[in-house]
Amino acid sequence: MPVLCSKLLRKLEEFVTRDEKLSKEAAVSGVGSSLLSGSLSMALCYIQRVFRLGPLHPQPRILCLQGSPDGPEQYVAVMNSIFSAQRSMVPIDSCVIGAQHSAFLQQASYITGGVYLKPQQLDGLFQYLSTVFATDLHSRNFLQLPKPVGVDFRASCFCHKNTIDMGYICSVCLSIFCKHHKKCSTCGSIFGQAQSDVASASERKRKSSET
Amino acid sequence: MPQVRIIAKNFMDMVASLPAVKLDKLYDNTFICEAILRSLPPLAKKYVLEMLYIDSPITAKSMEEWVLADGFSKHRVAIDRLIQLRVFTETVDRKKETTYRLNPTFQTNLQKHLIHGGVLPRESMPSNITVRLPSLEDLEAEALEQWECFLLHLISSAHAERLTNFSSSMMKVFQRGLLSQRDKEAPRLTVNGFQFLLMDTNAQLWYIIREYISNSEERGVDPADLISFLLELSFHVTGEAYNMNTLNEVQRNANQGPCRLGLGQTSAGVASTILGRKESWFIPTKLATNLSVSLSDSSSRKQGFVVVETNFRLYAYSTSKLHCEILRLFSRIEYQLPNLIVCAITKESLYNAFENGITAEQIISFLQQNAHPRVAERMPSVPENVTDQIRLWESDLNRIEMTPSHLYDGFPSREVFEGACDFARECNALLWEDSKKMRLVVKGEIHTEMRKHLQNQK
Repeated sequence: MPVLCSKLLRKLEEFVTRDEKLSKEAAVSGVGSSLLSGSLSMALCYIQRVFRLGPLHPQPRILCLQGSPDGPEQYVAVMNSIFSAQRSMVPIDSCVIGAQHSAFLQQASYITGGVYLKPQQLDGLFQYLSTVFATDLHSRNFLQLPKPVGVDFRASCFCHKNTIDMGYICSVCLSIFCKHHKKCSTCGSIFGQAQSDVASASERKRKSSET
Repeated sequence: MPQVRIIAKNFMDMVASLPAVKLDKLYDNTFICEAILRSLPPLAKKYVLEMLYIDSPITAKSMEEWVLADGFSKHRVAIDRLIQLRVFTETVDRKKETTYRLNPTFQTNLQKHLIHGGVLPRESMPSNITVRLPSLEDLEAEALEQWECFLLHLISSAHAERLTNFSSSMMKVFQRGLLSQRDKEAPRLTVNGFQFLLMDTNAQLWYIIREYISNSEERGVDPADLISFLLELSFHVTGEAYNMNTLNEVQRNANQGPCRLGLGQTSAGVASTILGRKESWFIPTKLATNLSVSLSDSSSRKQGFVVVETNFRLYAYSTSKLHCEILRLFSRIEYQLPNLIVCAITKESLYNAFENGITAEQIISFLQQNAHPRVAERMPSVPENVTDQIRLWESDLNRIEMTPSHLYDGFPSREVFEGACDFARECNALLWEDSKKMRLVVKGEIHTEMRKHLQNQK
């Protein structure tokens, strides 16, 4: 085995053991997920640096290889990374090797125009990588690539980090909450009373001006 | 196997046109495998990667399932290319099913290269003596100067101040097709020659290298060796010195050629004097390391230098003798200052150019392509009255159009004559008819059909 490969393998092993330790620590505090938002932001920063370095446009794309389940507490950060990837036209490919589908990565690939795939047989991972994910952006226009089966669009609420189907949304900053609040915790706008209250209040006002 | 006649358009086409045995031998070198992989069209590149670790042949049908309907032509192009280069081998089995698999040598070499990486069989110069190596800028300037000198020599040997190291017979080879030599007259630039001057440096380089390689057999050098050396050259680091002793005999000879073109630099004088040993080194330049990069990359576009005024005056901000010679081809040079050439485009100078086979469009596109940045922003960059006049002067020379044709007369009856006229009209070949005297003139190319037609009438 040449030096390069053994070094690469050693680093990968180190990374996995460190990650395991970290997730064990995190599991104590109740979270057991990988830091997707952090890795996405780092990749985007690197891409931005290459963009700004010169006229070079290497047509970058991001590949996420995720094994652990989503961490709903990272929702905002992940969504922000996804939108900034969309703005800089960087597709996010996702290869999920964990047990369950990842809603974050489904959305990421859907929004940025990348490929989302959950390989059926993990033994042939290399073939999946070289067949699907190694395809350059130009060739993707001509090739049959895995289509999204269905995208889980559910969001996490900002207050309790729960994944919800239905909730309350701030009309000013579009923050999502699972139950009614008096004041938006993100932008600080004060939510008015229910519609009926407002109507009766204006009626009262008119009445007073008449008298 | 599709026997496509290959017109050598770029280097890779040239590689593809090598005989099969030589091509297979070429793939013994891992670097060449990688260079070939790099040169492939995107879809073909993808197919190679996909098949890299598949050992069994794959049917053509299942490969076609990968592509979308509107990408099918691209798929065909990619597959044809891979077969031409013998990267894919095609077999048709008993059930008439076509299957493809990777060339085994290519496959194992590329796998090896992917896992182990590769080290060039060259000894690079130890860092303790690289003190007096030319800087990258110097190297590039030197290479371009060398190249310009070569071009100048190519067009007009009389004006070259410094002779290039090519033997005159070599020069003749390069000039073939670019210059036309009439008896006891100075050689003149042909249409192709002018087209050549209009191309950017990279494209010109390719043209010359192509000539150099296709001529190599006459010189007793195997073109495969030459190609493999040039491909390998593109993996060297620009501006770093490599020991000449690590090259074999053929490569050393091959290196002589490119060096003179500014592809590399042998710096016997630079390094060996420091070492005090008889060792020589070569330093690849940017021109060389870009060899396996595709031709379409036009980032090496030079800055323009020509300003054309509406009074047919032409100002060229250039110190280059080559530019001066090019301008002299179609304009009258009025005076030359250290950094400026002033010319006038006149009827006489243009007629001179047209006589040499240079067309008005070529001249205009030369002026437009080389427009000075100040005028290049303007639309049009060359004044319209000048371009119009150049075209008008050209069409002045082409007032008469010649069409080879046949005259038929002495028709037995008016009916036969009318029939013949109609037949010619149908073929879109009737040029002139005189119904009174029953004569008609028909384009030369349908003469045989016409005769058959008339014979049938009888």
